[in-house]
This record gives sequence, structure tokens and C-alpha cells, in this order.
Amino acid sequence: MFSENLRETFNLALFWEYRHILLAGLAFNFYVFACSVGVSVVLGFLAALGRVNPLRPLRWLGAIHVETFRNAPDYVMLVWVHFVLPLLISQAIGQRVTFAPFVSAVIALGLVYSGYLAETFRAGIQAVPKGHIEAARACGMGGPLIMRRIILPQAVRMMLPEAMNNFVSLFKATTIVSLITVPDMMYNVSMVTQQEMRPLPLYTGAAITYFLIIWAVAGLARLASERWRRKIWA
Amino acid sequence: MGNWERLVWNQRDVLIQGLLVTIEICAIAFAAAIVMGLGLALIRLYVRPLRWIAGFWIEYCRATPIFVQLMWVNYVWPELIGWPTSFYTAGWVALALQSSGYLAETFRAGIENVGRGQREAAAAVGMSPVLAFRRVVMPQVLLAIAPAIVTQFTVIVKSSTLVSVITVQDLMFQSQRLVNVWYEPIEILTATAGIYILFIFTVSAIGKALADRLRLRYGIGN
Repeated sequence: MFSENLRETFNLALFWEYRHILLAGLAFNFYVFACSVGVSVVLGFLAALGRVNPLRPLRWLGAIHVETFRNAPDYVMLVWVHFVLPLLISQAIGQRVTFAPFVSAVIALGLVYSGYLAETFRAGIQAVPKGHIEAARACGMGGPLIMRRIILPQAVRMMLPEAMNNFVSLFKATTIVSLITVPDMMYNVSMVTQQEMRPLPLYTGAAITYFLIIWAVAGLARLASERWRRKIWA
Repeated sequence: MGNWERLVWNQRDVLIQGLLVTIEICAIAFAAAIVMGLGLALIRLYVRPLRWIAGFWIEYCRATPIFVQLMWVNYVWPELIGWPTSFYTAGWVALALQSSGYLAETFRAGIENVGRGQREAAAAVGMSPVLAFRRVVMPQVLLAIAPAIVTQFTVIVKSSTLVSVITVQDLMFQSQRLVNVWYEPIEILTATAGIYILFIFTVSAIGKALADRLRLRYGIGN
């Protein structure tokens, strides 16, 4: 009995049989990931700028953004953005609005991870020595120019490993978008499972697939960022 | 404000009950994760023949999304090994698995950071390796990694929202049930998100303060 189940679990023929639909789902994971990375980098950078701003109200705004989204569970935010945010917008503009599941997923994950990224950005920006900024100012550079030419190049290098960790977490989080019916791989797995009534190979296959992707990407990212840092920095 | 009173305040018993289930399942998962994490770290460090198995297991737990792991434990394990037999058990086992991988790496880094000379000194005064580990190494490790452990607990709380998917009646489950009864998601879901954010914020603030106090008192870090 046990060995039968074991064979069933690791008999990935069924998983292979449905490879097209499952791969299409995996592509959705990557779409959601790519779009959320865009949203979270932009928002995270803005929030970080707020947090290091001399103006107190902006600092407060940045801190509220970070503390809210860093402490919000992904799944709760996903459900909130999908079911509540459209209603609030509808009430505000007096017109019925709904979000496609994909849009909700990107907004929710983008918001949550912008909180983590903002802290990563902030750490990077604050690690740039004060003297560099003063020297740039002494040369007559303006604020935006200093940010672009002096602070960001150094900050990005320093925050790279931590940002990679954030992105890996973000990719892992894309698996929950199936819960608001974005047709990603987990969604397709559950659909096929309902059809075939054989969850063992499908869920095992999904777990192995995600594991291999994330493990490989995380390893490569660690290697690449270490090497890049060593080459350019110090 | 009428809606808030009707949908949130008047339902507070249900929401509190859900929050208690959340806290309970997180506490069980956290305890199990610490035991498993420490075990995995020790095996990886000191039990040579099993080292690669522990290493592989740690990598697997760390690199698999929690939702995928939850589904895997929930659907595959009962068929494969006849356990876990309830959704509740499957929920905390999945949460514990995920965190044990991270905690194992944290423990390993902590243990490796304790100077070799300290263990040699302990051996020189006649302590057995086990006693030295328990009395010399472990206290320092625990102090050093206290902040990381607190962070891991907040990760468990965040991930625990997913156990509602397999019908464990935690806060997320109860709030979605209320939404399905009243068809008015705004107040209920906003309140739920607020409760989670506040809870996690409080836990991490208290945990961090506690860790800092302990570290200051026993003179490590800062």
C-alpha cells in the first residue's frame, strides 16, 4: 500500500501529460512576478525617498507606508485589493469599477513588497557615506543629480543581495494568486486535480517544479550579486 | 459608522475566536519549527552521514512557496504516510516545515559564530561536549539570533492566513465567512487587514524590544 502510494506520488506521467496547461500557468506566475516587481520597485523607491526626506510629514508618510505593507499578510492584502479596493474606488468616483484578478494580484503583491523593498532601498541609501554627498554638493551638483549619479549607483550595489531575497520572496508569493482565480500553475493544478481525482502526482510535481525554479534562481542571484559587488565595489 | 458597528463590532466574538485559532496554530507551528530547525542544524553540523539529507531538506523547505507546501502536505501526505489526518494538523505542519528550513540556517550560522576557543576552554575545564553545548554555546546562540527568531514568528503569522484555504477556522476564514453571509466586504475585510497588521506590528515590536533587552543585559550585540 505504502509503496503503491509512493510510486503514485512520484509517478509524474500525469504531470507530464498536462505539461502545456501547467506551463501556461507557470507563465502567468512570471507575468505577475514581472509586473509586481515593477510596481514594488517604483513604490518602494518613492517610500524610501520619503523616509530619508528632511521634511517630517514625508518621513511620516514613508514610515506609515512601510509599516502598513511590511506587516500585512500577502493573502489578506490580495483579498482586500480584489474585493474592497474596487468598491472604495467606485464609491469615490460614483461609477462601478471592478479589477481583473490579474490586476488585483499585481497591485496587492506590488504594494506588499514595496514595503520590504523600501527598507532595503533606505538601508542602501543611508549606507552611502555623508562625505560623498557633501563633496558632490561642493562640486555644484543639484539634488536629483546627486541622487542619480552619486547615491543610487552605490546604494543599488549595496542593497543588491537583500533586494534579490525580496524578489525571491515575491516570486514565491505569486503562487497564492490562484486563490483569486488568476490561472497560474497552482490554479491549473487544482483544476486538473478536480478532473482526474489524482492529487498526488500533480501537487508533488508542482512542488518540485517551484522548488527547482526558486532554488536555481536564488542560487544564481546570490552568485551574480556577490560577483558584481566584488567586481565593482571594494 | 452604522456599518462598522453592525458588521465588525457586533461580530467581534467570531473575529476574536478566529484570532485565537490563528494565535494557537502559529504557536504550535512556531514551537515545532524551532525544534525541527535546531535538529536539522545539529544534524547538518555534526552528523556527517546525514548531512546532505538535512541540507537537501533545508533547501527544499526554504525554496518552496508556503502555499504549494500547504497543498502538498494537505493532499499528498495523508495518502502517502496516512498523516496528517486533519486540516488543522496539516496547517501547522506546513507552517512548521517552511520555518524550520529558515530557522535551521539561522541556528547553524549562530552556532558557527561561537568561537572555537570557547568550546576548547569548556573541554579544558572538564565539560563534556554535550554540557559545553548546552551551557556555553547555546545561550550565546540564542541571544545572537533572538531578533531573527522574532522575525520568523511574524513570517509564520503572515503565512498562517493561508490555512483558511484548507478550512482551518482562523481569523481569515471567519472574516471571509462573514463576507459571504452579509455580502458587504468593505468593513469586514478592512477590519481584518487592520487586525493582522496591528497584531504583527505589535508582536514584532514587543519581540524586538525583548530581544534587545536580553542582549543588552547579557552583553551581546548592539
